[in-house]
Amino acid sequence: MSGAPDRPDLIGQRIPRHDARDKVTATIAYAADWAMPGMLHAVVVRSPYPSAQIRRLDAARASAMPGVVAILTAKDVPHNTLATDVPGQTTTVGPLRAHLHVLAEDRVRYQGEPVALVAAETLEQARAAAEAVEVDYEPLPGVFDTATALAPGAPRVHEAGNLLAEWRIARGDVAAALAGAAVVIDGEYETSFVDSGYIEPEAGVAWIDGDGVVTIRLATQVIEHYRDVAEVLGVPQNRVRVIGTYVGGGFGGKEDVTVEVYLGLLAWKTRRPVKMVWTRQESLLSRAKRHPYRLRYRTGASRSGEIVAQQVEIVGDSGAYAYLSALVLLYSTVTAAGPYRVPNVAVHARVAYTNNPPTSAMRGFGAMQVVFGYESQMDRVGAALGLDPVHVREVNALRRGDTLPVGQVIETHVALPVLARRAWDSLGEPTPPRAPHVRVGRGLACNLQPYGRIVWLHDWSSAWVGFEMDGSLVVRCGAPDVGGGQASSLCQIAAGVLGVPLARVSVHISDSALTPLSGTTTASRQLYMSGNATLKAARELREQVLGVAASMLGVAAIELDLVEGEVRARDGRTLALKDVLAGCARASVPRSRLAVYHAPAGEPIGFMKVGGPDMAPHTPQTLAHGPAEPGRGSGKVFPDYTFGAHAAEVEVDTETGVVRILKYVAAHDVGRAINPTSVEGQIQGGVVQGLGYGLLEEVLLDEGVNQTTSFASYLIPAAGDVPDVQPIVCESGEGLGPYGARGIGEPPIGPPAAAIANAIAAATGARLARLPMTGERVLRALGALDGKDG
Amino acid sequence: MIPFEYHAPATVGDAVAMLAARDGAKLLAGGQSLVPALTYRLARPGVLVDINALPLADVVRTNGHVRLGALVRHHVLEESPDVRRWCPLLAEAVAYVGNARVRTLGTLGGSLAHADPAAELPVAMVALDARFAAVGAAGSREIPAGEFFRAPLTTALAADEILTAVDVPVTRGAGTAFVELARRPGDFPLVSVAAVVAVDRAGRVADARVVFGGLAGAPQRSAPAEDALRGHEPTPERIAAAAHAARRALRPETDVFASGAYRAHLAEVLARRALRTATNRALTVEVR
Repeated sequence: MSGAPDRPDLIGQRIPRHDARDKVTATIAYAADWAMPGMLHAVVVRSPYPSAQIRRLDAARASAMPGVVAILTAKDVPHNTLATDVPGQTTTVGPLRAHLHVLAEDRVRYQGEPVALVAAETLEQARAAAEAVEVDYEPLPGVFDTATALAPGAPRVHEAGNLLAEWRIARGDVAAALAGAAVVIDGEYETSFVDSGYIEPEAGVAWIDGDGVVTIRLATQVIEHYRDVAEVLGVPQNRVRVIGTYVGGGFGGKEDVTVEVYLGLLAWKTRRPVKMVWTRQESLLSRAKRHPYRLRYRTGASRSGEIVAQQVEIVGDSGAYAYLSALVLLYSTVTAAGPYRVPNVAVHARVAYTNNPPTSAMRGFGAMQVVFGYESQMDRVGAALGLDPVHVREVNALRRGDTLPVGQVIETHVALPVLARRAWDSLGEPTPPRAPHVRVGRGLACNLQPYGRIVWLHDWSSAWVGFEMDGSLVVRCGAPDVGGGQASSLCQIAAGVLGVPLARVSVHISDSALTPLSGTTTASRQLYMSGNATLKAARELREQVLGVAASMLGVAAIELDLVEGEVRARDGRTLALKDVLAGCARASVPRSRLAVYHAPAGEPIGFMKVGGPDMAPHTPQTLAHGPAEPGRGSGKVFPDYTFGAHAAEVEVDTETGVVRILKYVAAHDVGRAINPTSVEGQIQGGVVQGLGYGLLEEVLLDEGVNQTTSFASYLIPAAGDVPDVQPIVCESGEGLGPYGARGIGEPPIGPPAAAIANAIAAATGARLARLPMTGERVLRALGALDGKDG
Repeated sequence: MIPFEYHAPATVGDAVAMLAARDGAKLLAGGQSLVPALTYRLARPGVLVDINALPLADVVRTNGHVRLGALVRHHVLEESPDVRRWCPLLAEAVAYVGNARVRTLGTLGGSLAHADPAAELPVAMVALDARFAAVGAAGSREIPAGEFFRAPLTTALAADEILTAVDVPVTRGAGTAFVELARRPGDFPLVSVAAVVAVDRAGRVADARVVFGGLAGAPQRSAPAEDALRGHEPTPERIAAAAHAARRALRPETDVFASGAYRAHLAEVLARRALRTATNRALTVEVR
């Protein structure tokens, strides 16, 4: 018994987000806005040294200071080990285990590593006491770059050695293909440490609720970290609750634990509400960054521009702890050859420990750094063969049915040639240079970005959709909303299926106790996963309700539709939704539905084991080996990919090296745009962040000591740096999300750096191989400035 | 919050008395530097003396000078017809300061007395040979701009002195230009250059002043550049030689924003651009 197919009237509509007005008028209570009676204020005592032994830690004097209620050190933490491998609702991934101490025990490995926690009546008292905690450090030798870290005899960050993880792909015969290639291009590229740079630093409040449950309200991308808090406290997982707030920017920086474990510990010990808000300096100092990479590419192409071989070496800096480094490196390994069909591929990827700040998830998650490598190479191949940038990419673009080097078959449409052509053509007429010392040029860069989690994580999401008695609709879903419109999209999907005006929909999200768990808002997965769960719940609810209405009207359900809050029959009769809902009660049919969406699952490829000191012993891993057989399929790593093409026109001041973006176009196949305004926002935001990566942002470290701990020295793009970004939204309908949508949260951050580098090369002939491309580096590349790279 | 006393005197005399009476008292004008310093706990003064009520916000054209009160806001400098006509270098320089919000509140006196080595207005004032009026417990005095800036965040003002006004000579028969480069628009510049070029009837440079900001602890006049120009026809080659001479005398340091070598290179490029523009302006009726 099923109703007429739902008409997704609301899909594709530019609907203002329900939370937009509240955010603009500052009526949303973000994590740091929360306050409770009797609330304490907490701060973290951090190591000033990047590598040191803790010889003595004495909090006696600090404990006696006015207002101090608790000072916790490692010995006060019930279980001082935190697993950091895979956040979310799936944590069993075999031998991949990454750990760190909640509070440092006898050793600190990076500047800013937490050593103690202080809670006091006022923030000033807490800060004063934190400064009074006496710690005797004995500085130890450290390693601050991957080359040193991997050299024999290097000081060890962890006892078992500095190599954290290693992946390999070997497909076809790279040596033979390179030997037979018409052109071989060698390139070395270097990407930088960057920070998420969100406007909202890490913040939260914890308290013991009336029922004894440890409750933590914070800004997070992963409410499932309640389990980590429970593990650390040694209490059952059902005694900890995480309430996620609207997030003022996540970008992966709020994927690992931030303040929740500290807050849980302090609330547990003091039995009082406790607040912790990191300062900007603290966030920039200690928050996990994006991995800086050294990339080495050797690319071979035929005379007609077909890429015949890619040989890629990747070395990433994990900083002092593993966090998600092994998986970030896996993303890089799988996507290292780009969105192209390349028959012969060898990838060797390593990530090493150093005494730099830890690196972990950040928007793009390892599929980003390599874009700078493979798209710079693609441009150089085109230039060497005299092929235009669009053509050389058209010739090589993946198509449905092609096999990625790792062995995964592309099962959905790839719109790359169309995207590249449209982006390039949309630049319009060339801009003439405005002065003799100015050159103008254009660059193109394409990418592929997985969306959804690695298939052997067996990802799932759940959502609950229900009618109130009056016909208004409620959506409950654990998904955190990080500003991408996650909650709004769920409303749009449910409202469309159930024929309810959006104004009559309420959504409750991001509460581990009260909303069904839906997993992390990461991996561009939330619309895909929770959108599907919500769609499923809404469709099943629609069937339930129309079934009851069919009985009431004595017609088949297929005759009925749900529109604008009433049930309409083909014969013209209508029933008020309220009456149908009363009918549901009489017929013992629920007015709600809980649905679970399971992503396509798969088995680990290769022997899924990575190693390192805080993991199992290191073993090099070969992901794929042998010929790239079409249809082989055993190498499935991700559910699907989103493809994009960006085109930029820049001007380069050849006397100062300064690069200014004149035009920027970003085209992505998003499958289906549920809300085009939100999609364009994701594209524009991703481009801006990607331009920051390309031109401005760099965490500068001096022997592990961070030199850029304020927004005066860590330069994120401001209004004056941002060009008019023209998004092009293509809809192939081929995605795995609701109505064929693809993930678009991460993909747009990938291409900008390469697009700009290629445009600079076109304008000046100079090839920039190191990020960010500051005026100084451009000038050096132009040969107009001598001396060492600063 | 860290407690502090707050006073808002109505007269310069009262303000000076408060400064003299209390160690570590700080003046609050536009707050564009002080308030962030308080927020970051870089400054923890026990006493704040808010001088916004003092009558120091006028722009007055006097005999051969424009007299600017210390509380003249940046946006007033940017927009004032007197400033734009009689000392256009100031209007050009101040447009680079921060953003519209900063220029709405920030004050001339605050920027000069704060003496950030990369700030624009000190550079312009040295280039224009302005004179600073200060009032202290011991009385009033005048300080030439060239002697006012001593080191980063350090001026010739005594602890009990208030900068009350600046006398800027009217720019006559000269062209001026201010050029700078920052990593991002609105940031403190890596390098700034102010140029003042007077050309005589024979088409030769009668006088030139070239002042750099951002390269040292205080604004730096470049004698080599000025000497290279004075008495010569300001041809593009002559200007390039002057800019090059300026660079050879500079030893800027490396910091997180740029290397010393890049700063020195920029100094030459920007000096050349500033001198070209100033010369062109000197040769047109614009400033006559």
